[in-house]
Order: sequence, then structure tokens, then C-alpha cells
Amino acid sequence: MKLARAWFTLLMLSFQRLLWSASTLMVLVPLVACALFLVYERYDLGSHDQGTFEETFDDFSTDFMIVVFTLFVIPVCALAYATTSIGGDREDRTLLFLLVRPIPRWLILLAKLMATLPLVLGIVVASFFVFCRLAGPVGREAFVLYLPPVFYMTLAYVCLFHLFAVTFRHSTIVALIYALFMEYFLGNMPGIVKRIAVSFYGRSMMYDLGARHGLSAPDPTWFVPVSAQTAVEALACLSIGGVLLALWIFSVREYRDLT
Amino acid sequence: MWLTFEHVTKFYGPVIGVNDITCRIGPGITGLLGANGAGKSTLMKLASGQLRPNGGEVRIGDHRAWSAAAKASIGFSPDINTFYEEMTGREFVTSMARLSGYPLREARERAELALAEVGMVDRGDRRIGGCSHGMRQRIKLAQSLVHDPPILLLDEPMTGIDPGGRRDLSRLLVALAERGKTILVSSHLLVEVEQLTDSMLMIARGRIVASGTLAEVRGLIDDQPFAVRIVARPVRRLAAQLAELPEVLSLDLQDDVLTVRTLMPARFYAALGELALADEFEVERFETLDVGADAVFNYLQQDVG
Repeated sequence: MKLARAWFTLLMLSFQRLLWSASTLMVLVPLVACALFLVYERYDLGSHDQGTFEETFDDFSTDFMIVVFTLFVIPVCALAYATTSIGGDREDRTLLFLLVRPIPRWLILLAKLMATLPLVLGIVVASFFVFCRLAGPVGREAFVLYLPPVFYMTLAYVCLFHLFAVTFRHSTIVALIYALFMEYFLGNMPGIVKRIAVSFYGRSMMYDLGARHGLSAPDPTWFVPVSAQTAVEALACLSIGGVLLALWIFSVREYRDLT
Repeated sequence: MWLTFEHVTKFYGPVIGVNDITCRIGPGITGLLGANGAGKSTLMKLASGQLRPNGGEVRIGDHRAWSAAAKASIGFSPDINTFYEEMTGREFVTSMARLSGYPLREARERAELALAEVGMVDRGDRRIGGCSHGMRQRIKLAQSLVHDPPILLLDEPMTGIDPGGRRDLSRLLVALAERGKTILVSSHLLVEVEQLTDSMLMIARGRIVASGTLAEVRGLIDDQPFAVRIVARPVRRLAAQLAELPEVLSLDLQDDVLTVRTLMPARFYAALGELALADEFEVERFETLDVGADAVFNYLQQDVG
């Protein structure tokens, strides 16, 4: 009972500290920029010929959902909180006060993860909802269709960046390089190399789910998507594997390695 | 409850932090003395389960120090000076109590008690970011006391505290020791530890070079020559007269500064005083070179090296 209370306290403490951290301000900037972009696009499109529903859906999926939301918004939101949740305590050296409390180390990291996950999912899903509303009828349809890939990608990124946070001393920089460069390059590599990128599976899900509204698949010589089911399994495995590895690393590493 | 080190060795890569340390620390206050880099902090980190030994074992009661179970029995006040800066002292100590598993109401009560013990009740609502160094030290101590652990590990707890605060803190630690707590206090200043306890461990180059009561440790030190630097006029005549004294082991005169070595400092001081009065030497400056713990460690290290 005592351990459960201590763990829940740590979860709540971590959640509050993340919510009121500079990360919130940091993610608000790209989110507001995206919202303004969508408002502009809708207003601008309204003054021209918008084309059929399928054409507009294809444009929204390709130009916004894949390029902006999948490759930029989700990873940025995830890294802003996931690397700060344990990395912030490492950098501030307050982690010590947690490590000398009677909570097993793996439970400390699990509390951090459990505090981060609802926050990031909440922000990503809420912003996704707002963006879709701003995009009009196409967005309303896209929200229902693309919610699963958004959820699984967010989950995978949060877990992966927690692994980065316990592995690397400057995890925010590593995660930033990974999210903004490695994911982009890996995801656009020919052959099966792209299958190690989180975004590949998210995009595959979107192409698979969006096909019913005429979302055109990319050139097969360049991008061969996997099925939505395979993508879900891959992202779930990546999330669970990443978390288990992070918990193990955090349990065995000494404090001097973590500061 | 006992804190036990059994043949404990810790490496930092190729550098040795502590080397084959074996000791048992029981109820009462034990001073851990050592120069910077001697291995005090490594020993503290091993005891608080932040580090794992490469060899041997550190135990808190029956539990390995690394385990979560051992953490329930220790209160650790680290030498770092960082906190959750946005919190008040009261919120921080309450949070630490809750992280030890206490429900909110009990955590608040315990935090009040701990803050009262360190004299921070009236200043507990100040944001930690705006607290002085001394207040931060007290908050650190309060968070280590809040769950009433049987073992307290205090890494340089006196640093930054004013003389009045030191006196209060010394009284508190003595009172806690009288309640049966095992308290390990690290310091690089002999004088700080002297005020607290007569039981000490001296560490140098990662090894315990002396342990026991203050008298026993001083006995080891008294076998070593004691250096005194004197600036006086006329210095050459003073040097000649001091050379006659049986207490003086050697004399060194450089740039009108006289360095005297003696094995009997008390008798030497008395003799110097008499000479200065009788022959009207003008003593401008007089300083003992070997009173700090560093000098003691230098002496004791000779045995280790």
C-alpha cells in the first residue's frame, strides 16, 4: 500500500511538473502555427475551386497529415515531454531525491512514463481534433480514420524517447536529431531500410485506411507500405520493447551514469 | 541499525574510488573525514545506494544498500544544492514524505515536524529558488529526516550554514543520536566533526587510514611534526634563540619568514610566548600550517602510500 501511494505520488508530481514546464510552451508554438496554416488554407481554398471530396481528402492527407502532423507535430510533442520527464530530473540533478526513496528504480521510470503518456496523447489528440475541425468536412472524416495511426505513433515515440532519455546524457538533442533528421531520411530510404522508422508504419496505416476515400498510394518503386494490421503490430512491439529496454537500463545503471 | 561495508571496492573506469573498505557503523554519530577526492562522497553514494560496489558488499541492516528496501531505512542529505526550485520548502519536504509512502495528512504532519527540527517552520513557505544556501541545507536535512529513518547519511551538512545554525544543527544531530539513530556525517574539516562526535573514520586515497575515537586519531597525529610559520623582528635573533629550544625539531628561514617544526606544539607555544615577552620580539604574524584536516590526512596518507 505504501509503495502504491509513493508511486502514485511520483506519477502525479511528474505530471504536474511536466504540464507546467517549458515544454508546454515549446509545443504550443508549432501547434498554433499549424492551426493558423489550416485556417489560411481553408479560407484560401474557399476562394478557389476546391475539387472533389476525394481530391481534397488526398491533399489534406498527403500535405498536412503525413508531411506536417506525422513527420513533425507528433515527434516534436513526444520528444518535448518524453525526454524531459526523466531527462529533466537528470539535468536538474533532482533525480537523486527520487532514487533514495523506497521505490524500485523500474517503478520510478514507469511512473515517469505513465505521467508523460496521457499528457502527450492528450495534447496530440486534442490538437489533431482541432486541426481536423478547422479543415472542414474532410478533416472530420480524417479524424475518425487517422486516429489509430496517430495514437500508435504517439505511443511509439513516447516510449522510444524514454529509452533515449535513460540511455543518452543529452537525450533531448539526440531525440531532436532522430525525430527531425533520422526519421525523415530513414523513412525516405529505398528498400526495407525505411522499416526501422516509426513514421513509416504511421504512414503505411494512413495509406491503408485512407484508400477507401481514394487516397492515392505513393510510387511503389519508392514506397511499399505494409498493411495497417502489420503497422499496428510493429508499433506496439516497438513501444513495448522500447519500454522494457528502458526499464532494464534504468534499473541497472548507477546514478553517476544518469547525471 | 548498522551500516556495514565489507571489503568494498569501487572503480570509476580505471580510477579507484574506494579500495577494500571494511567497517561497521552503528548507533551514534560517526564523522567521515577526508580531503577532497579522498573517497568520502563515493562511500556516501555507496551507502545510499546510488552506486554499486565492484567488489564487496554494502548493507543497510539486512538489506543491500542498492535495494529499494534499504532506502526505507536511510535518510540522505546530499552535497548537491539542487531541488525542485519552484516548490516551497514545505511542499518539497511534504512531497518527499509522500514519496516515502505516507498519506497526505501524515506527510504534512511529518513535514511540519521535520521543518521544526531544522528550524524552518516559519520560513517553510518560501520558494526554494529564493532560499539562501543555509536554508537550502536545512531543507535538505528536513527531507532526510521526514520519514524518521534509523540511519542518516549527511554529506557535508554544515557547508554554508552560519555559526548559530551550526550550533543548532549540532544539537539536533546529538539529540537524534541519543534517540538511537546511526548518523554518518562527512566533512573535510576536522573542526566540524570534532564538535559533533568523538568517533570518526578518516579516509585517504580511497582507504580508511584511521578510525576510532578522536583521542585515538589524535594519537596518530601527535607522532607527526607540527609546522608553525612566524613573521617577527628581528627574525634572525629569534631563530637563533628558538634553535636552542629542545621542543624545536627543525628551523627554516626564507625571506624573513621562519618555519619551525616541533613534536610538542603546546610546549613550543609556551616557550615562544616567554621568549617574545622577555626579549621583546615583535611578532607580526604567527600561523600554524598543520591544523586542517588536510594536513592530518597528509600525515596519515604516508602510511597508505
